[in-house]
Amino acid sequence: MKVKILAALSGVALLVHQYMIWHYAPVAQSGPVQKIFYMHLPCSWWALVSFFVVFVSSLLYLFRRDPAYDRVAGAAAELGVLFATLSLVTGSVWARAEWGHWWVWDPKLTTALIMWYVYAGYLVLRSTPMGRDRKALVCAVLGIVAFLDVPLVFFAAKLWGSAHPDGLARQGSGMEPRMWHTVFAGLVAFGFMWGALLLTRAGQLGRMARLEAMLVWDDEE
Amino acid sequence: MLKRAAAMASKDLKLSVSGGQGLVQAVLLGLLLIFLFSLSKPLGGAISAQAAGAIFWLASAFGLVLVFNDLFAIEEANGARMGILSSPAPVHAVWIGKGVAGLCLLLVSQLVFLPATVAFLDQTVHGPWWLMLVTLAGADIGLVVIGALLGALSQGQAARESLLSVIVFPLLLPVLLSGITLFSMCFSPGTSEGFDGWLGLIFAFDALFSGAGLFLFPFVYSGEE
Repeated sequence: MKVKILAALSGVALLVHQYMIWHYAPVAQSGPVQKIFYMHLPCSWWALVSFFVVFVSSLLYLFRRDPAYDRVAGAAAELGVLFATLSLVTGSVWARAEWGHWWVWDPKLTTALIMWYVYAGYLVLRSTPMGRDRKALVCAVLGIVAFLDVPLVFFAAKLWGSAHPDGLARQGSGMEPRMWHTVFAGLVAFGFMWGALLLTRAGQLGRMARLEAMLVWDDEE
Repeated sequence: MLKRAAAMASKDLKLSVSGGQGLVQAVLLGLLLIFLFSLSKPLGGAISAQAAGAIFWLASAFGLVLVFNDLFAIEEANGARMGILSSPAPVHAVWIGKGVAGLCLLLVSQLVFLPATVAFLDQTVHGPWWLMLVTLAGADIGLVVIGALLGALSQGQAARESLLSVIVFPLLLPVLLSGITLFSMCFSPGTSEGFDGWLGLIFAFDALFSGAGLFLFPFVYSGEE
């Protein structure tokens, strides 16, 4: 039921967001390509939220050993990688249009790329053949270590960028209020979608675990 | 606990040096990488100090994976891991022992990589030497702290080297970037401005992951398969 409500809300909110992008928010100085920002920012934010959920769920799993937390961590990691991929692609297209390069050593962009690598590795670990409890345990450990790395990666990318002439820092955005409204609408719309996807995927993983347990039971008979 | 950690490190070092293949493979692979990258040098041209630093730390990172795979693999045979877990030694002693053994083996391999970098990549160490040594020590501690924690993740896995590389390399990025930048300062004449920020980053990494390792290692190093 929760999923259905969230999915319906996200459908409506995404339509409203699209309307705001194309008809409500003014066209920026750089032209219509700036509108990609309204998709890029929510993807980045919800990717980061996903990684934080992986961290919290991993901690909870270590302390309580409830497989539900492991499933939430797995679902959040998948969503985090998906949203981070979308964020990287949209960011790269935007950078090409704004700065003439597909990739620049921007601390935020670089941090997103490194975190994408880290959590893609986490998903590889989740798909390796291993005992269920051990896999949940080692994934929880990696989920914690990975999130602890985020501030260090950001600081390293910032230091690195400051030492390189091609490291471009974004200038003050000077956005109009209607642009901000569109940004917040995007955050809310993507939030509903993220919530619906997370609950759906965690539920799927739960059913998969139940099915696997039943298959093992049948084998033993 | 430190006495037991020392016993663990000494046991691992003896086994690695006498029969283990981790150190030999790490040294050979690192040397091969440095030689292969030297082929990218244009005729009559030079490899930049930063590229040389990157190649050195890349060789070290691959060496780290091989060293820790070997350190954890030697306990897979004959249920040795279960024996260690059943012994009165606290599991943290295992982590510290593995870390110390890994650090020694990594330093030995880097003793080969550094002259190879100078020779094959045509670099000169302009110094300051203290900066190079502090960088080496600090960055190596960061590498082995992560290696000793996550090396146990892939225990019992068939494709353990590739699994460990995929997981560990992105996590090591802050310490690798610091090592590359500081080594490029040491390979270039008279440019060591801004080293303090990078050293701070290395030691923050060491402190953060040492704490995390102490807390998390008992969860990873267990009898479960």
